[in-house]
Amino acid sequence: MTPEPMLEVRGLVKHFPLTRGILFKKKIGAVKAVDGVDFDLGSGETLGIVGESGCGKSTVAKLLMNLERPTAGLIRYKGEDITRLSGRALKAVRRNIQMVFQDPYTSLNPRMTVGDIIGEPYEIHPEAAPKGDRRRRVQELLDVVGLNPEYINRYPHQFSGGQRQRIGIARGLALRPEIIVADEPVSALDVSVQAQVVNLLDRLQSELGLSYVFIAHDLSIVRHISDRVGVMYLGRIVETGTDTEIYEHPTHPYTQALLSAAPVPDPEARAHRDRIILSGDVPSPANPPSGCRFRTRCWKARERCAVEVPLLAVPEGFAPGGGPGAHASACHFAEERHVVPNGA
Amino acid sequence: MLLQVRDLHVEFRTHDGVAKAVNGVSYEVDAGETLAVLGESGSGKSVTAQAIMGILDVPPGRITGGEILFQGRDLLQLKEDDRRKVRGAEMAMIFQDALSSLNPVLSVGEQLGEMFVVHRGMSRKDARAKAVELMDRVRIPAAKERVGQYPHQFSGGMRQRIMIAMALALEPALIIADEPTTALDVTVQAQVMDLLAELQQEYHMGLILITHDLGVVADVADRIAVMYAGRIVETAPVHDLYKAPAHPYTRGLLDSIPRLDHKGHELYAIKGLPPNLMAIPPGCAFHPRCPRAQDVCLTDEPPLYAVAEDGARESACHFWRETLRDA
Repeated sequence: MTPEPMLEVRGLVKHFPLTRGILFKKKIGAVKAVDGVDFDLGSGETLGIVGESGCGKSTVAKLLMNLERPTAGLIRYKGEDITRLSGRALKAVRRNIQMVFQDPYTSLNPRMTVGDIIGEPYEIHPEAAPKGDRRRRVQELLDVVGLNPEYINRYPHQFSGGQRQRIGIARGLALRPEIIVADEPVSALDVSVQAQVVNLLDRLQSELGLSYVFIAHDLSIVRHISDRVGVMYLGRIVETGTDTEIYEHPTHPYTQALLSAAPVPDPEARAHRDRIILSGDVPSPANPPSGCRFRTRCWKARERCAVEVPLLAVPEGFAPGGGPGAHASACHFAEERHVVPNGA
Repeated sequence: MLLQVRDLHVEFRTHDGVAKAVNGVSYEVDAGETLAVLGESGSGKSVTAQAIMGILDVPPGRITGGEILFQGRDLLQLKEDDRRKVRGAEMAMIFQDALSSLNPVLSVGEQLGEMFVVHRGMSRKDARAKAVELMDRVRIPAAKERVGQYPHQFSGGMRQRIMIAMALALEPALIIADEPTTALDVTVQAQVMDLLAELQQEYHMGLILITHDLGVVADVADRIAVMYAGRIVETAPVHDLYKAPAHPYTRGLLDSIPRLDHKGHELYAIKGLPPNLMAIPPGCAFHPRCPRAQDVCLTDEPPLYAVAEDGARESACHFWRETLRDA
């Protein structure tokens, strides 16, 4: 990792107010979508964020893109807090942080040609490419993402899902950003096409030196692409570490449950694995449990968990630097448990 | 045999031409057995299921050939009235998206009870008691208190349990589940899959599990049928298929999934795209994407070759021996 990370996120909070009344809106509560998230993203690094629906991972993506203003907290891009920027300064930062969306069917305008879609960022940032040069740039981008440059005048409906996702990626690359935030970029694609797009993202990263924030619910894809992984539950990161630390030495019960529930395409490996089936559902983010938010579904929960919020740090009992089990985990009773069998 | 689909053909007439969605599919399911039908979008896996249930959109869809024998009767020869008596009572379906499959303006109790009122002629009061009983069976906590609630008041996992309860209501002999856990979170997926497998054992039902996810089916299915371009390309007992696939498409699918237990290098990717159903390639439909394709694959459509002596395994690849050997 470089001394100064690309992105530093500190104490990030986003609450969406719940109101009652039409004329005199009265605030009656808040959905705590993101409630205290910290992480760093190094240059050329991929940070994977995994979690189930409602954990706040997509809100984190929107905050990083400055599409939502945080309720509290900082996002530093190369040392500068970008959450309070506006106007020209914001526009300059946005050039360097681009997004790839989940759904290649709704994120491309059906009435624009592929050339216009990929070239649209140049309309907003004309300084990025002189007018006469844009068509050539777009064709180059098509080539980079593995599409025929002659397709420049076609419309999105003439492409398959996987090809559309390539168009979305080409648009994300148009301004030569340093950071790409990808929110579930392959989950709408068929298995055989998923692998093609994942390989493309891998290749672009090494060729262009991009940093990725890769948000997904699919644990095996996140492991494949990430250098470091953060596991989110109800608005907080509960465990974070390198892919080996998280997948082979998880210490937080939620991570363990998530890994043990992941579908594994091998009946023999499944027979040998340690299955943890959680009871109940995720509580509402408008009214999260006190103390540890996972305690209502946790088999280890004790009184302490209801009163004391566990911090995301190397837990007591693990010496810092003492092997792969010693990584940040927000659990009072963290202990290693091996849940992913070999062959999975 | 509970259900036998024989040489089924389904096509869709559209403005742009005829899309051949199902091209000669045959499979069987026995009581107490789980058959997983695996395929990507456009493989024909759901259209086959719709034809079995008799809920195909006609037009544009049309069954152009084949038989669907259910407990010995050919469903395709039945009148719509008789077909309706089979649907729900003798075979039932569970859909992917419970929120859009349930009626938002009726309480779940009314929707569950309706099955008994319509098919069994029960009174509303008795039907409601039955609804509570069913909700208990699928382990919805506080069933008695929640029977009057509406679908939006339940979580995704709970709604899918209600769908399962509704399918089970009249104790059908066959259940078709079309991507039953795809819309659910991983931790809830495992709960729902376990419940489904358990109830199937208990009622000794036949279960057809339609999915695109090789992981989900691995520990609940007995047999797997892999579909590509409206055809079955491989069938096998579940363990055999994962251990050594006998079709290059199955091999490619298994290889293209990233692993949980180690960080791989580049993923294997099947080249190209699934075929356009209006212009399915001649010969073997998979040949433009297949690493093993030879001249014969461009011209001769491979039949389902028997891979195992007892007929439990079949592969529609001219080179199944080589594929199996290199597995």
